[in-house]
Order: sequence, then structure tokens, then C-alpha cells
Amino acid sequence: MNDVLKVVVDGLWRQGDKNLAVRLVSANGEPLPGWQPGAHIDVHLPCGLIRQYSLTGESTTESYLICVAQESASRGGSRYIHQTLRPGQTLTISAPRNLFALRDDGPVLLLAAGIGITPLYAMLLQREATGTPFTLHYFVKRREEAAFARELSHSLKHGVCLIHCSSEGKSPRQTLAATIPAPGDGERIYTCGPAGFMAAVRDVAAAKGWPEAQIHSEAFAPAAPVAASQQEETFTITLASSGEKWPVPANKSIAQVLQDNGVAVPLSCEMGICGACLTPVLDGVVDHRDTVQSAAEKTAATQHIALCCSRSHSRVLVIDL
Amino acid sequence: MKTALPTPPAHCTFEPEDWLRLAKCWHPVARACDIGAAPVKATLLDEQLVIYRVKGQVVVARDVCPHRGVPLTLGFHDEEGIVCPYHGLRFGEDGRCNRIPSSPDQPVPAKLNLLTFAVEERFGLIWTCLAFDAENPQPLPTMPHWDDEGFQQINCPAFEVNGFAGRQVEGFLDVAHFAWIHTDTFADANNQFVPDYSPQETEFGFIADYWSSVGNYPASSDYRAPEGFQWLRHFEMHLPFTATLTIHFPGEARLVIMNAASPVSSRVTRMFAPIARNFDLHIPIEEVHAFNLRVFEEDRLMVETQRPERLPLDLTLEAHIPADRSSIAYRRGLKKMGFGEFFLV
Repeated sequence: MNDVLKVVVDGLWRQGDKNLAVRLVSANGEPLPGWQPGAHIDVHLPCGLIRQYSLTGESTTESYLICVAQESASRGGSRYIHQTLRPGQTLTISAPRNLFALRDDGPVLLLAAGIGITPLYAMLLQREATGTPFTLHYFVKRREEAAFARELSHSLKHGVCLIHCSSEGKSPRQTLAATIPAPGDGERIYTCGPAGFMAAVRDVAAAKGWPEAQIHSEAFAPAAPVAASQQEETFTITLASSGEKWPVPANKSIAQVLQDNGVAVPLSCEMGICGACLTPVLDGVVDHRDTVQSAAEKTAATQHIALCCSRSHSRVLVIDL
Repeated sequence: MKTALPTPPAHCTFEPEDWLRLAKCWHPVARACDIGAAPVKATLLDEQLVIYRVKGQVVVARDVCPHRGVPLTLGFHDEEGIVCPYHGLRFGEDGRCNRIPSSPDQPVPAKLNLLTFAVEERFGLIWTCLAFDAENPQPLPTMPHWDDEGFQQINCPAFEVNGFAGRQVEGFLDVAHFAWIHTDTFADANNQFVPDYSPQETEFGFIADYWSSVGNYPASSDYRAPEGFQWLRHFEMHLPFTATLTIHFPGEARLVIMNAASPVSSRVTRMFAPIARNFDLHIPIEEVHAFNLRVFEEDRLMVETQRPERLPLDLTLEAHIPADRSSIAYRRGLKKMGFGEFFLV
């Protein structure tokens, strides 16, 4: 948890009819760390969730801009931001990390779908500022839901931006083949959007002769899928008092495993909201899934785990029972 | 001024450690408008108190004459202080004895002064702290908008509940009971859903912003919010027993209700409810009092019959549902302050 930054929500406004732009400024008035387009930050929401969001807009250290879609199947992050987050609220974020940086100054084809526009809009602004050619294709279901539509409609000096709407018969399925040309010399594709969209981009591009190494993508799904699959793996829970240990498979909670083995577990809500089962952790890295502990508690030196729902990032977790 | 030693009174209904923790906090004991020169009785944390005003100063003291133990609230006042009915000893500013009728020329020994407590006048209430620690003073709760321009200040008459303050305050924070208990006053029996919300810890306790479509116009009123209006209820919980609720009405209209629960004993609570609002200023204050008392009255049966009467801070002793996030934050906050697992006897 190095490099956590305290920021204040400076502004919230609509971007299209189902997205919310969030401007964050430093809580202590110091400039924020610099970043390059493609970077993302971890946002620690007060509801206990940690979500990754791409930085968007101009690359400045005065403020960070993110843009969050209202997900009907929200697991809590987007719902919190849309319904509860308010200007003036303080949040903890990580310093920017970039796994999706523009490689060089060569020509680029930017392909965005839905809220996947966020890193690519930052790339577009940088390209426009440095006078390097680019083309952006932005796919949305309906024109009204496009984020940054007003900004993107301004005339561009160094590139082209086209918005395609499924509702107007221009879904990715119908138009990707026409929008992705054969690869130019040294040209790269940067794409961000739903997994199905990015897979389609790769398929079409491969068919047109694009080398795999020239296609760069970033999934904007909230949790990194690799980490998620690791989290569901079996780990070992160990009792500090007796040294007894049992495996915790993906389909069982720690509490269930302990109860199966005759260990009394103080349970109440069984959904991570009440904290009745919070137990000190002596060794191991907790994958916190509860929503009762604050972000500060979840990152404190002394860790407590909600046995009813949380899991382990480490292979072994030793608890004070 | 002599400050009372922080020891629980005789027949105290609280655990001694919990009593001492509570005694270090500020609690309201009377409406400021009800305190004049005459002695007024109040009970806080099982301690019997006398409250009076002399030369503009409010004095809160143990309701015991230091001479022969008669309650001063049986006495009366003259311009110089309150007079014990038994031997006429009189007590003025800072609770100091300023007359011994049987020996008028004798200097007054310090032992004849009243045992007084720290006092603050705020939000139209008299607040006192039985174990004020000047080294580490506890802050008084705050109330949004009370002093803002355009806001009317209203103070409902105190309201007594035969229940524990912790249970009463938890009820004030509870957003799931509107559709069940308050349908005669403001809520809608058909609007029971509780949208998710997340309390956030603060230095004084926690805050919670709760958005829902449950309106706050009186059921008898013709006013209705615009179609689809989302009401924001902003709660600020000042541990242990004072919460404020700021209701965002359409436009800039705001209604702030403070629920200041004064623990008379572990089984009796005296509720004070200062209110600030910037609309409907023409409505007679008596109607506001009546409406708010009706709302609090609707809660009475629940709060007075809950078992256990005390508030279990051990969360395994009750079940919890997602609507309870504020209740859970409340209990966790009290536990962090050090109160016993099973809060109060």
C-alpha cells in the first residue's frame, strides 16, 4: 500500500446520459504525481471496495479526471460513485500506474467502445497537443451515451475522430471490418472496451495482417481478471492456537471450513457487513471482501479478516483463533 | 468553583467504567428557554441535578445542599441565587454559597459551595459534562445550518422515553423502519426498499448519506416532490448519543433535526430535538413541535420494548441486514470508545 494519495472530489458531472466524470484534486494542495495516457489509479471507495479507473482528459498534475459508467450489473463500485459520492468527499487513491502506455510516436489507430473511451481520450488529447497523427473510432450503443462527445466534436488538427452508434446501424460487428485498415508502416492499435469488443478487434486486425505485437489493449473491467482468478484458488487457513490447518476451496468460505471442522465462528450477517466475525490475522495477505471495515482498517498494520466472506492473496493465512 | 469528583452516584444503573466514559461527554439537560432564575430539576446518568440562572450565568450542580442534603430544587430563588428551603442557605454564581442566615457575619467556608459541573449553552440547549477534563476536553456535537442566515431555529419540548439512549439513537439512524412505523406522518408503506449506502468514519463518529425516494412532506400536506425526486438524508452521528439529520428537500430547502438523547439513567432517556429549517417559516412553531413529537411518539413502543434493553455491542448477539449499515457503524464506534461489549446494565 505504498504511494497512497488523499484526494478530494472536486467535481462530478454527466458525460453522456449514463456516465459520470469525477475530478479529483490533492487533499493537501500539493501537485499530484505526473502520468501518461493509458495510466490508471486504484480508487479506495469508502464502501470498502477498491476499483481501477483509467485517468482521462489532459495529462496534468493539478487534478485527475476519471469517468465511470453506470453499470446495471454493478458490484458496488459504479453504484457507489453514481449514487453516493459527492463533491468535497475525501478518497484514498493509489499513484498512477501505466500498463497501457503509448509505445512511440508512430501513427496510431485508437479503438474504443463504451466507457473504454477513457484512456483513449487521454491519448487523443496528447497526440493532438504534440501534433502526432491518429485516428479514433468510438463505438457506443446510442449517441446520447457517448462520453466526451462535446469535446470530441471540436475540430481536430492532427487526427480524426468518428463516433459509431449501434442504434444507427453501425455496431462494431457491422463496421469493424471497414474501420480497421491494413497495417501501416510502424502503426499500432490501442483498444479499450468490453472483452468481446476487444476480442473482435484482435480477430479483424489479425485477418487484415496486423502483427499481434502491434495491438495493445486494456480491459477496463474493475478487477484485474488474473488477480481475480488467483483469489478463487484454494488456500490454507491455519489456527495460531493449535496449529491446525485446512484448505479453503473456492466454493467455501473460511467460516464454513472452520465450522465443518468444529471451530466455533462468531457469525451474524454472513455477508461482510457487520463485522461480528472479524478475527486478527497473524500472517498472510488478506483479500478483503467485507464492506464493514474502512479503507484505513483494511490497510492498517494490524489486519482483521471477516471470516464469512474474505479470502487470501497468500497461500497460507494464519488467524488468531 | 469546585468540580465534582467523577464518581458514579449511589444507585447508579450503569457499569462504573461505562458511566465514567459517558460522564466525560457533553449531554443536554434542559432547553435554554426553560431555565430562568428558579431552580429546575434534571437527572443525567443517575445524577440528580439542579439548574438555575443567576446574573445571566447558567449553573448546573448536584441537587444536594452541602449543609444537610436537602434537594435545592425544593427551594426558590431571589435575585442573588437559589435558596435551600431547610435553613435558607443561598447559592449564586458558580454555585457559591453567598448567605448563611443563621450566622450572617461568618465567612463562608468552601465546603458550603455546590458541586458544579461544566456548562455550555448551544443549539438552544443547556449541555453539561459531569467529568470535564480540561486537559482533554471533549467537543460538543455540532449541528449543520443552525447559525446560517435564513434558517429558523426551533426547539421541541423535551420528550421522555422509557428506554436506553443507545437504542433510541440507533432508531433515529435506522432507515428501514420508515415504511413500517412512520406512515402516518411522512413515509410510504409501499416504499420499503432500502438502497445501499455507506457510512464513513469521522473524528466525531460517522456520517452517512442516504439517498432514497422516500419523501419527507407530512402525510397531511398537499406538497409532493417532483416525479423521480431523490431525497438525500445526511446523517452525522456524534458519539455517543447525538445525531443530526439534514433532509434535502427539493431546491434549496433544508430541514435539520438534531436528536440529542440525554441518558437520564440506563433505562430512561430524555430526548431533545433542536430543529433548523429555511422554508415554511410562516407555519406556527407549535405545529412543528406537534409534528415532530408525533414522529418520535411513533417510535416509542419499539424503543421501549426492545430486548435486551441495553445495546449489544457484541454483534453476534443480534442479526444484521444491509439496511443496518449505520447501526453497525454506530455500535462499532461505541465499541471503539471503549464501552462494554454489552453496553450498560
